[in-house]
Amino acid sequence: MTQPQLASTPAPHLKADMRISTAMRDVMIALLPISLMAIYFYRGYALLLIAVCLVTAAVTEVIFRKLLQKPISLNDGSALLTGLFVALLYSATTVWWTAAIATFIGIGIGKELMGGLGWNRFNPALFGYVTVFLLAPFLPFLNVDYTPWEVGVVSQATPLVMMHQGMEMPAWWELFVGFQGSGAMAELSPLSLLLGAAYLFYRKHIYWQTPLSILATVFVLTLLFGENPLMHLITGGLILGAFYMATDWVTSPITGKGKVIFGVSIGLLIVLFRLGLPPTEGVAFSILIMNAFVPLIEKLTKHPSFSEPKQASAL
Amino acid sequence: MEVKTFKGGAHIPHYKSYTEDKPITRLSSPKEVIIPLLQHMGAPCEPLVKVGDKVKIGQKIGESEELFSAPVHASVSGTVTAIEPRTVPTGDKDDCIVIEADDGPQEFEMKQVRDPETVTVEEYRECVREGGLVGMGGAALPTHVQTSPRQPVDTLLLNGAECEPFLTCDHRLMVEKAEELIKGAELKMKSIGASKTLIGIEVNKPDAIEAINKIIEGRDDMEVVPLAVKYPQGFKSHMIKAATDRDVPRGARSAELGCIVRNVGTTVAAYEATIYDKPLIERIITVSGPRVTKPGNYIIKIGTPLAHVLKECGVEELEGHKVVNGGPMTGLAQVDLNAPVVKNTTGVLVLPPEMIPEEGFTDCVRCGKCVERCPVYLYPNHISTFSEAYLLEEAEEWDIMDCIECGICAYSCVANRPIVQMIKKAKQKIQKKHKAKQ
Repeated sequence: MTQPQLASTPAPHLKADMRISTAMRDVMIALLPISLMAIYFYRGYALLLIAVCLVTAAVTEVIFRKLLQKPISLNDGSALLTGLFVALLYSATTVWWTAAIATFIGIGIGKELMGGLGWNRFNPALFGYVTVFLLAPFLPFLNVDYTPWEVGVVSQATPLVMMHQGMEMPAWWELFVGFQGSGAMAELSPLSLLLGAAYLFYRKHIYWQTPLSILATVFVLTLLFGENPLMHLITGGLILGAFYMATDWVTSPITGKGKVIFGVSIGLLIVLFRLGLPPTEGVAFSILIMNAFVPLIEKLTKHPSFSEPKQASAL
Repeated sequence: MEVKTFKGGAHIPHYKSYTEDKPITRLSSPKEVIIPLLQHMGAPCEPLVKVGDKVKIGQKIGESEELFSAPVHASVSGTVTAIEPRTVPTGDKDDCIVIEADDGPQEFEMKQVRDPETVTVEEYRECVREGGLVGMGGAALPTHVQTSPRQPVDTLLLNGAECEPFLTCDHRLMVEKAEELIKGAELKMKSIGASKTLIGIEVNKPDAIEAINKIIEGRDDMEVVPLAVKYPQGFKSHMIKAATDRDVPRGARSAELGCIVRNVGTTVAAYEATIYDKPLIERIITVSGPRVTKPGNYIIKIGTPLAHVLKECGVEELEGHKVVNGGPMTGLAQVDLNAPVVKNTTGVLVLPPEMIPEEGFTDCVRCGKCVERCPVYLYPNHISTFSEAYLLEEAEEWDIMDCIECGICAYSCVANRPIVQMIKKAKQKIQKKHKAKQ
């Protein structure tokens, strides 16, 4: 037999077929119901915002990686996913450049300048969104009301604000299934988000610990404070935050115990924001704050090696 | 049926259906065998023959004075044509004895020389040593080192987990040689003073469990322990934990835990070495792969070149394929088909190009799959990142030295990081550093 050229990469010679790109694609699929819901309610406004954010995300990543002399990594899908997240964090009538700037900051500064995917301490989409939120009071052009064409979009108080101000609320089921005027596009249909989340559970991308501990904490605390806990669960982006943002691989703890600590802390902060402060962006702030504590949580929850001698046998 | 296991690990596609029903058959004897002088952990052998010598099948041709060593034997009758460095399964060139086979019969004559009922412990130990027995499940530790433990050992644990995908040689051995296996276990129990034998078998081999249960029926000193089908169930530490629920702290020898783990193939080989004076000159090897025309479980002579094995099994197209010596999770990718099969070769696998994982990788995205699955409960994510950056002290703090190199982290990595390779490299550097300090 003449010697053929053999492949000789080292063991293991088998690999699971899950890759970063598959996971990102799956999250995009999970976000399909809510995106379609947003497009159904807001038509051109939703489409425009989503398209602008996707394009900005891709362009930003390419520019930054070129500047940093790193290989282009659009294939992994993470930039596009961040773009989609940013779009969904905004209400459909947000002026497009505001969302584009948030995307640019999220991916450029929040991710690439922090070392790229894997090294970012904060959830890039939330980082961009909150940065713009904090800048907005000083930069009036970020707050332009944008309704160039009529689609019957009603500008009104978000349910969370309505709840805060003791206004009469729409029916719970209506808010749950789909309610126009819910503020951010991601808030208009918790049901659609949960459908997507079910898919993510099924594909084992997310685990129950983080979302469940967030929801349980918010539920119990709002109940204790005499609020309507069910209303709190489905408003103010809590579902998006609990199932999609706080479960972000890079910016959340790895172990189950860590995820519970992370989730309960986020829940606590959310309730604190909602009951004690102006009732907006509580979820985004809470997750970003806890992102910063992930290394500490990891340290505290480190489990011992299989080979670590047990105390009893050391005696 | 109570199925035991350990926490962690993962299910990996089996690929065992190619060969799990294929009875053990004998592969034709090659024209030339290449016997490496080092086929075990420990000291290499010195040749006992020289070029031009005639040797007989089963004749001892290499030996060492060291305790940690095992002699090697001629697997064919013929003439020694060279004693020189040849490519071995690791890809290195090591000293080998090359024997050209003569035209006579090339089968070892199985003549009973001892009675299993009356053979003494001393005879058994001597035969295991003289027969060149090593751990045939992969570790290749000289077996005789373990035949006389200093601590009292209550349990003999026979390892029939065979958790690596593709491999079915132990499976078939348990089905077809259950009797020899149990007789071998009796000898081994006597030798180490154990009062009980547990036989750990993954439940994807019901026929093996049944075959053994049939023979040990009614005995209270032997018991099959059904194990969950999970990788790496067959690693020694995890076999002990699953079957006996004993903890396996770092540095502890299994004898200190009151049990000795023995691969089922080694157990049968030790039995044959004792009763028939048959040294370890051949073994059952699974030859498999999706495009292998004649996959199977073959008795193959130690020293048979891979090229001969593959040709006999109908493998023709190899360009761009991967040939693995061993299982797909820990086996060695071969670079030279002139390399021989050796004492711990469990499988010869041919993986076609579409099965070979791509190579590029990116930074860790902390998905946590490796942490969730690591059977040693390490943080392969951190450890690999430390190893990549040569942060050896940090890697040690995160218990890198406990890693059993099962490969499940790299298998699971969504960023395609060669985690286990990074860890292996760092471990070597750390060992060197410690040696330098001493």
